[in-house]
Amino acid sequence: MLALTRRKGEALVINNNIELTILDIKGDQVKVGISAPREIPVYRKEVYLQIQEENKAVVNADGLEALKKLL
Amino acid sequence: MKSDTRLFGEIDIEEEKLICFENGIIGFPDMKKFSLIYDSEGKRKQISWLQSMEDPEFALPVINPLAVKPDYEPMFSEESLAALGDIHENNAIVLTTITVPKELEKMSVNLKAPIVINGETRQAAQIIIEDDFPVKYFIYDLLKKKAGE
Repeated sequence: MLALTRRKGEALVINNNIELTILDIKGDQVKVGISAPREIPVYRKEVYLQIQEENKAVVNADGLEALKKLL
Repeated sequence: MKSDTRLFGEIDIEEEKLICFENGIIGFPDMKKFSLIYDSEGKRKQISWLQSMEDPEFALPVINPLAVKPDYEPMFSEESLAALGDIHENNAIVLTTITVPKELEKMSVNLKAPIVINGETRQAAQIIIEDDFPVKYFIYDLLKKKAGE
């Protein structure tokens, strides 16, 4: 992983079209501003992982067979 | 496009009828092409299936969230709808996935990340909404009650 040090108000540019700005730092919280093309989704990682886990559970084979039989 | 699906056997769907998730399903970025299958023989016709055309094993049961939560009104940000073309109230189809564990009593729908389809262009996306909706909203009791009516 690339690690870069930034101060409040400084920014990073990724791939010519994404800009991350450090807006504020308070204690152990950092506020990050993201400018990216509209079609690039941005998620909080813990929420993303939760949905990913749920999607895996949705396609879980045992449950599906059971549902199909139930209906 | 043909696929020998695990749940529905061989299906053949015209290319223009496929539903296209440009960014895939969350956690499954390569799952882009789906067909929406209605089980017309089933007792509960409100449940349909998003069957992947790329992976015959991959199918998501889905339901209109209003069937299980009549006051469900998620707010979608403009950015989150960007991949769906000219989408508005009249062409948007909102569905939610159903999670069916071995214990059917723990059956739930995901109200936090609904699936939105543009009914005209068939572009689709799974969208995480900012509102505080549960990832697991349990529906077994409700379905049972409905079945008893």
